[in-house]
Amino acid sequence: MHPVRLFCWHFMAYPHLPKDFDKNHESAWVTVPNTLWDRTRTRGIYQEYLDQLVYADELGFDGMVLNEHHQNAYGLMPSPNLLAAALTQKTRNGKIVVLANLPPMYLNPLRIAEEYAMLDNMSNGRLIAGFAVGGGPESFNYNVPSPHGRRRLWEAIDLIVKSWTDDGPFEHEGPCYPMRYVNVWPRPQQEPHPEVWVPGSRSIESMEEVARRGYRYFLSSRSHGGGTRMAAKEFAGVMEKHGKTYTPFHMGVLMSVYVAETDEQAKAESQEGVWYFLRNCLKGHLRKEGRSMTFGPGVPSQSLRSWEAFLNAPRSSGSMLGDAETWEELEERNSIIVGSPETVRRKLWEFIEDAQVGNLLIQFQFGNMKDALARKSMKLFAEEVAPALRRDSGDLFAKVFPQLGDEMPVEAAR
Amino acid sequence: MSMRDLTVAGRKVQLYEAGEGAPVLYLHGIADMHGAAAGPFPFHDALAKEVKLIAPAHPGCVGSDEDNSLESIDDLMFHTLEVMDVLGLEKADIVGNCVGGWVAAEIAARNPERVGRLALIGAPGLFVSGAPIGDLFMAVQPLNGGIADLRAMLFRDGEGDLAQDLFPDQHRDKEQGMLRYQVFRCLARFGFKPPYFYHQKLRDRLYRFKGLALVLHGADDAFVPTDHAAAYGDGFPAGSLEAIDDAGHAVILEQPEKVAGKIAAFLKS
Repeated sequence: MHPVRLFCWHFMAYPHLPKDFDKNHESAWVTVPNTLWDRTRTRGIYQEYLDQLVYADELGFDGMVLNEHHQNAYGLMPSPNLLAAALTQKTRNGKIVVLANLPPMYLNPLRIAEEYAMLDNMSNGRLIAGFAVGGGPESFNYNVPSPHGRRRLWEAIDLIVKSWTDDGPFEHEGPCYPMRYVNVWPRPQQEPHPEVWVPGSRSIESMEEVARRGYRYFLSSRSHGGGTRMAAKEFAGVMEKHGKTYTPFHMGVLMSVYVAETDEQAKAESQEGVWYFLRNCLKGHLRKEGRSMTFGPGVPSQSLRSWEAFLNAPRSSGSMLGDAETWEELEERNSIIVGSPETVRRKLWEFIEDAQVGNLLIQFQFGNMKDALARKSMKLFAEEVAPALRRDSGDLFAKVFPQLGDEMPVEAAR
Repeated sequence: MSMRDLTVAGRKVQLYEAGEGAPVLYLHGIADMHGAAAGPFPFHDALAKEVKLIAPAHPGCVGSDEDNSLESIDDLMFHTLEVMDVLGLEKADIVGNCVGGWVAAEIAARNPERVGRLALIGAPGLFVSGAPIGDLFMAVQPLNGGIADLRAMLFRDGEGDLAQDLFPDQHRDKEQGMLRYQVFRCLARFGFKPPYFYHQKLRDRLYRFKGLALVLHGADDAFVPTDHAAAYGDGFPAGSLEAIDDAGHAVILEQPEKVAGKIAAFLKS
């Protein structure tokens, strides 16, 4: 059986933005003044967030997910590897998914190769190694020209993976990161190397690069309509072109979930955190209000071809998750799924059945959501939603993807 | 006047030519031809009445191919020298506006023998302590759906018709949307990275250009602070500095006749 893999993703938002933040600040990213950081109220914040991830491991999630963002109130993880290191010592079973490190921001990608190799050893082979180009805010934060991002990313990924698989020392001649001595100690524990995940936003260029190398594609969209199924189909097609066979485990998506005893209770309990997350954390990132920093001529990472396709798309499609004004609008996006165990199970099952994606990376804690609520939601999910999803998806995937066979693929094994 | 394509190091370079007489290489900026519109503005027409204007589009702008290996101002300078090679311009007068002025200054410092007279307009490129260059890349990212910050950085009157027409909040058509993206993507390749739109060592190398240099700038330039023009004026042994009133960074658009007149007079003096 190959059931859907359910991961717990923590974004580690700054939860103490002032009530009038939206009125007075153009963004929660890059320019958000760090005078808003409250030294007193933030005592213990990392412990609280880490403990939630440790709890996810205890509840039987397939893994814990961390990501990298800089100088922002959306996610307090400029160095996800530090948190991953803590998790290696406090968790036992789940994968530790770092989605991702951002090689274009680094002077030397070997630092990432080394830290990931350390994490793989420290976790006894539980690392999933993510690599991403970084978004617009990161370009501003670290002064990295967006047009060079992809080139640097792929040279770095290839160098890092080679440093894990090929015998060292060797010399690397690439244009972005020439190195005279590549000789990574320690070597990662997993053979031939930790599973590699790379996020993309449906550009064919990224899918090609990922498929060609046999890595896993993570769709970085926060909204899931028919677009997710389309993306899975596109990626399957690209894999086929490269002589590879798509399975649901070649792709992952991000979803957000809140579960409570009833639909009404779930909505009531999650409202504050959800709106804090949308209005504050997404300001500057996935909202039209405020300074949009993620995408545009100032951070021109898209190829001219992709930009032309964007200009050709209807204007209305530019609406983003943070633009949602009502709860109903939010529900339509299938991004933040809130309800009773039965409602959440049904909606996630419809999604799995439709998109046939095998890695669900789920955010349980939103914005300023209280610890007790996040934990209650995770527990209800693990006990009353996950078992049915695993059972039903195992049956479905066995039927639709017989090539998965009886044996669990190495990369899907826990 | 004509638009044609050159092949430079295997890449297509779009070239605008107009006028008669001694060739003048014109290197464009953002609020300029190839940057904000495909064709010439009244400034270029006025200048082309006096000289032969040869204006290549930088890599990735309008019809010029992108160059993914372009990573620094050095790369753009060598590219421009190669354009001169292909055009057979052993030595030419060079007029550079905005980032085009920076490229022109780099060429003058590196290969002074290839430059006759040099005119810079609102050029970045120098490090001037305490006078940071405006963050154009942040300003072009919409604030509440609009780019008033960009217009204010480029124009004296950011809400005037000229600014609104060339840099509206929503691009008027696909061509305008592409042009803007293209010029910013080109600029990001060599201007985004630290140092931001300057080359720390250029100021100490300007002395190598002994020819006549005219440094013009809009008196109200909010992108490249006016101290930068002064630093260029001081750096060239035969440099002269002139501020144009009632103009911001887009001085060639805001005061076209005046700027064209001053440059034509300088080139012909």
